[in-house]
Amino acid sequence: MSDPHDLPKEVFLDEVHSFEFWFQAVAGYLTERPNGHDPSIEEADLNSSEREALITTLCNYAIGETAALEASSGMIRFAPNRRAKIFLATQVVDEARHLEVLLYRLSELGVTHLEEVVQSRANRSLLAFRKRLLQFVDGHDWEAALFAQNVILESMEFSVFQAHVERADPITGDMLTGIIKDERRHMGFGENELGRRLAETPHIRARLQAVKKELDPLVLDTFEDTLEQVGVERSERPELGRSYLASVERLGFAL
Amino acid sequence: MTDPLEDARSPRDRAARQRFVLDDTGFDEVPKKYRRFYRKWGGVNDALARNEVLCPVCKVVIRSTRELRPGDRVYCMPCMSRLVVSVGEGGRLEALVAY
Repeated sequence: MSDPHDLPKEVFLDEVHSFEFWFQAVAGYLTERPNGHDPSIEEADLNSSEREALITTLCNYAIGETAALEASSGMIRFAPNRRAKIFLATQVVDEARHLEVLLYRLSELGVTHLEEVVQSRANRSLLAFRKRLLQFVDGHDWEAALFAQNVILESMEFSVFQAHVERADPITGDMLTGIIKDERRHMGFGENELGRRLAETPHIRARLQAVKKELDPLVLDTFEDTLEQVGVERSERPELGRSYLASVERLGFAL
Repeated sequence: MTDPLEDARSPRDRAARQRFVLDDTGFDEVPKKYRRFYRKWGGVNDALARNEVLCPVCKVVIRSTRELRPGDRVYCMPCMSRLVVSVGEGGRLEALVAY
């Protein structure tokens, strides 16, 4: 293989958005992970409060992944180009897998009646975020849906999951490591697709700034709540928010 | 439209560069044929080689078979970003996203 950095721009974009690229990429890290984690890892001895906190956290991850599954599948219909449609199809599969492995992990922790437990422990701000995201999708608002899902939600998940991996029990950590690898693609797709869109149609910037202003409190509340459950010290939280802040700053939005 | 980044490297510039043989470091987030061009980042104490630059979007180290210089274009395949190498604070090479 010659240096991929020599590929012409259009060839590179076709390659990384393709189903074939996705298929070969995920094969590298999912083949040995049935149900999302290495089956040889033994269950850690969690005390009651640790277990309850983990269940609440995983329930909220499941809410976030469900939102992304519903949104990304709906966005395929009005995605403005072939590359985006094909990429979103791969994202739908990723999100469905994430939801499935999170529910499987909850069942490993002894949770029954999964749907009810997930709903009963959901963060209100996250539910409000999900509702607003799906309104953007229902309204076929490509830029707002892309911004809310692939920039805001994915950046938040990327940061939270990375922080959680450092503190998680071995099975949960292994499962999240696999999810983070998918989130890299989702987050990068959002920033790059929106960046190209903003360059072509700069007048949409003001509207997206308003979307950001509306969603920021919901994101920050969810972020704080989850980091508290995961056990991240208050002093470390601003650093973890930097991934989201950096991406919106690169896109030129006021913080 | 011509991509302004396509012509960033002149033949003379390329000839003077140090070449690198890349090995597979176990990075598994891209198809096998691309894996040696990327590696995991070890955090702030991870010293990058002259053929490496950090992706600001997804924090993966991008590797090239030749020494990188300001103005070079590189691709981060794990997060689908096009990047341009520039000189950052302290003279270190850094990558800027080119949408």
